[in-house]
Amino acid sequence: MAELEFVDLSVKLAECTLLDRITLRIAPGELVALVGPNGAGKTTLLRAALGLRAPSSGSVRLGNSAVGKLDARSRAAHIAWLPQHIRADEPVTSLESVAAARFRFRESHAQSRSAAERALARVGASAYAERRVTELSGGERQRVAFACLVAQEAEILLFDEPANHLDLAQQLDVYRLLGELWREGRSILCINHDVNLLHQVGDAARVRVVGLRSGSLVFDAPFDAPTLPAQLGNLFGIEMDALQGSEQRFIVARSRSRP
Amino acid sequence: MKLRTLLVAIACVLLLLASVLLGPDLEGAQGQFIVWQLRVPRVLVGMLVGATLALVGAVFQALFQNPLATSDTVGTTAGATVGALFALALDSSRTVQGLPLVTVCAFGGALTASLLVASFASSRAAHSSDVLLAGIAVTLATSALASGIQYVSDSRALFAATQWSLGQLPQVGYRGVLLLAPLCALCCALLLLLTRPLQAFALGEDLAHSQGVNVPRLRLLALGLGSLGVAACVAWCGPIAFVGLIVPHLVRRLLGASYRVLLPMSLCVGAALLVTCDAFARLIVPGRELPVGIVTAALGAPTLVLLVARGRR
Repeated sequence: MAELEFVDLSVKLAECTLLDRITLRIAPGELVALVGPNGAGKTTLLRAALGLRAPSSGSVRLGNSAVGKLDARSRAAHIAWLPQHIRADEPVTSLESVAAARFRFRESHAQSRSAAERALARVGASAYAERRVTELSGGERQRVAFACLVAQEAEILLFDEPANHLDLAQQLDVYRLLGELWREGRSILCINHDVNLLHQVGDAARVRVVGLRSGSLVFDAPFDAPTLPAQLGNLFGIEMDALQGSEQRFIVARSRSRP
Repeated sequence: MKLRTLLVAIACVLLLLASVLLGPDLEGAQGQFIVWQLRVPRVLVGMLVGATLALVGAVFQALFQNPLATSDTVGTTAGATVGALFALALDSSRTVQGLPLVTVCAFGGALTASLLVASFASSRAAHSSDVLLAGIAVTLATSALASGIQYVSDSRALFAATQWSLGQLPQVGYRGVLLLAPLCALCCALLLLLTRPLQAFALGEDLAHSQGVNVPRLRLLALGLGSLGVAACVAWCGPIAFVGLIVPHLVRRLLGASYRVLLPMSLCVGAALLVTCDAFARLIVPGRELPVGIVTAALGAPTLVLLVARGRR
């Protein structure tokens, strides 16, 4: 299984530096949570990993080859992506959308459809397989996008704020599902805005948390490190506390004192 | 769903048959001649042109992720117009290798304009919205050129240009059918092979990229093939408005947007619709023919409004 590695990666857009000499390695079977303020370059990092954003210097490597040099189909066999938004203005059914995500496989449409049915069942979206994506709610649409990711059957999964715009129960569900895929042996890089959700993946002690600010890596710590609350606080420029629950530690922001 | 698709297909065949049979009573040898030498080849040209325009419209709407994209979004029609105006300003009766000069020049103009856009589209960095803008820019530039040519043309050339720009199915006989058929058939067949990557586009261009679609190559193929087919159609018939825009939307409303249904059914409905409009154009004013472009535009615009209004409810 190939590993994903960012080697001294910089991405510049006109005069603006989006990523500044990032070196980061995601070993096979690892789950890395990427945290940081808005505009830190988290999404740009994922886009660079997909070859959607070309490096200005340095490289993104997948095993022995640069991501940009790979043929599209074989890249898709390695890396899949759950974007923050999917476009939903074509009245296509959920099932057809997920079947289309099987593009990398040279197989018949019937095979794509049955794989899509399995993926939809796995994410709990079978009930609206035949409904059009234009008619789905935000949460339902996110599950369909998740099913696309599952159907692609890649080794490395990139998640861009998978819990965005979801209600509390759905957020937990998404992270539980993400944990399932991880424990099956896949590598995961996941942009996250609430580290407490990482408890849902199971075996959270093995999770790595990486902080990104203004395009640079600020810290890289295990999820259960005692220093994590202070590092997160420092990353966002706020005070954060650790509260010990019966089984787990929660990291919460302290309310700001009045000026 | 399957039944509905079948019903629409049957309706298309019935419309095509009706279009051949409708008309003043035709008897004897003269009637035979009119039906077999005039009407049938004209219906065949209508089918080819309607099918190509509608399929390319559906493909371009998918490719640009824009419901307003049509077969002439990438400057094909504007380029053809410049070519045709140029030929008409020179001499409308000239022929090249037995083909009318207007047709040859229109074809050349259409290909030149779309080639400009396609070369831009094949670049890795360009997003579909950039390509759409490039198409609009080329359309504007060629329109300026067309106005320039019109400004220096004499009145006879101007009249011919107006006639051309209305769009009509010409009496080209079986020779025209034989020239148009292989090109249209080839383009349509190859475009239908792109159904799978285009379907991946439906949830977004970047997602399709991450799923393994080679986006620049898909764009170049779809644009190149689509422009070639449309260039051939426009060269023979002039710009025929609305078919490429309306038909995909009509099919989408009736049968959904699974491209495995939408693309082939756009082809069928496009063929039937244009031929029906042409029959209408032959018959609506007794003793006179209207250009089919007027009929498609007159029927197309209200249909579109109706579709949108019903879809929103």
